[in-house]
Amino acid sequence: MASIKEIRTHIKSVEQTLKITNAMYLISSSNLRKARKQLTDVEPYFQKIETTISDILHHSPEINHVFFDKRPGIPRSERKVGYIVITGDKGLAGSYNHNILKLAEQRINAGAHTSLFVVGQVGRSYFQEHGVPIDMEFLYTAQDPNMGRARDMAELMLDLYLEKQLDEVYIIFTKMVNSFQMEPTIHKLLPLDPDVFPEYEENRDTYNRDVTYVPSVKAVMDRLAPGYVKGDIFGALVESYCSEQNARMTAMKSSSDNARAMLQTLNLSYNRARQAAITQEITEVVGGAQAAL
Amino acid sequence: MAETGTFYLEIITPERQFYIGPAEALVLPAVDGQMGIYPGHEPVVTAIEPGELRYKAEGKWEPAAVGAGFAEIKPDYVILLVGFAEHPEEIDQKRAEAARKRAEERLRQKQSVHEYYHSKAALARAMARLKTRR
Repeated sequence: MASIKEIRTHIKSVEQTLKITNAMYLISSSNLRKARKQLTDVEPYFQKIETTISDILHHSPEINHVFFDKRPGIPRSERKVGYIVITGDKGLAGSYNHNILKLAEQRINAGAHTSLFVVGQVGRSYFQEHGVPIDMEFLYTAQDPNMGRARDMAELMLDLYLEKQLDEVYIIFTKMVNSFQMEPTIHKLLPLDPDVFPEYEENRDTYNRDVTYVPSVKAVMDRLAPGYVKGDIFGALVESYCSEQNARMTAMKSSSDNARAMLQTLNLSYNRARQAAITQEITEVVGGAQAAL
Repeated sequence: MAETGTFYLEIITPERQFYIGPAEALVLPAVDGQMGIYPGHEPVVTAIEPGELRYKAEGKWEPAAVGAGFAEIKPDYVILLVGFAEHPEEIDQKRAEAARKRAEERLRQKQSVHEYYHSKAALARAMARLKTRR
């Protein structure tokens, strides 16, 4: 049995760790609440923009817009593909970062011409360590997602796409299926795919047939498509942030629970050791007294 | 159909649902100038520039600053999807003024086409806020 002093130091260090994990648990649970709200706020915007794009697509099917250009002339092996990978800024979030990085690595190894745009410090240092080149000027944090950041990222991606430096853009992020299940997901940002937008079978109203586009379909699409990409990125950022907080919350909760269980056994063995020491002392005193008689 | 005299107005941004409810009229900053909308308007989809928007709800004109986006107009409802939407009292004038100065400063310097458009867009957003705030 370990000595009393050793056990006491052990208890102290576990207590300190428990304090930290518990604090992190509380912080991430309050962040999660905020992120959840953001997630529900962004949803209606997103659904509306999707509906409108599909409305336009299905009422003017001959649309030939640059953002829908799949560039079929470029063979598979020649295509330049960009990936935005969203990771956390910190570790200690269970398998959150690990899962997303694993998925990203799979995709990168599959293609020849890939560029990486990494959000979050964990991903950045991971790829640097593994000697995978990433865009160093793409410096965005995963914390506290906001529209301005999504706008900057969307502008950059649209520019690279229009300048033909990238033929396809994907975003790799963690989707929150429900609070127990998070799924690393790949989502295609560009070019937009007409098939992705579902056709709404039941026409939502009777006016749809004769909608006019002012000043022109192209002008409207020029605004819509970047707005959609922006919304897409923002949605992915928010969803990832939400997942990260959720993953951290779960991880910290289980480590706090473990720490508590550990403290209990440690306390038990501490008390036993103390009791044993006392008993021994008494025996010694009694033994000494008897010898003295 | 909504009752005559009003239509259903939804102004939605990625961050929040700015306004949802009946409105009697709406003036929005379209690409080629201001566009007025009354109930019973023909179905139109149009792009919106950053600028000042006004809507009439319960007999009162309410101004708001909006960012780029688009509007879907139907005879009995109008949906606006914009980058941002703010009430005049929410706009931080100092911040908008600083943003305007910053954008103008950047526009004076030599920069790439991308940076130019970026600064232009930033300037437009700042001007939209300042105009609404006054």
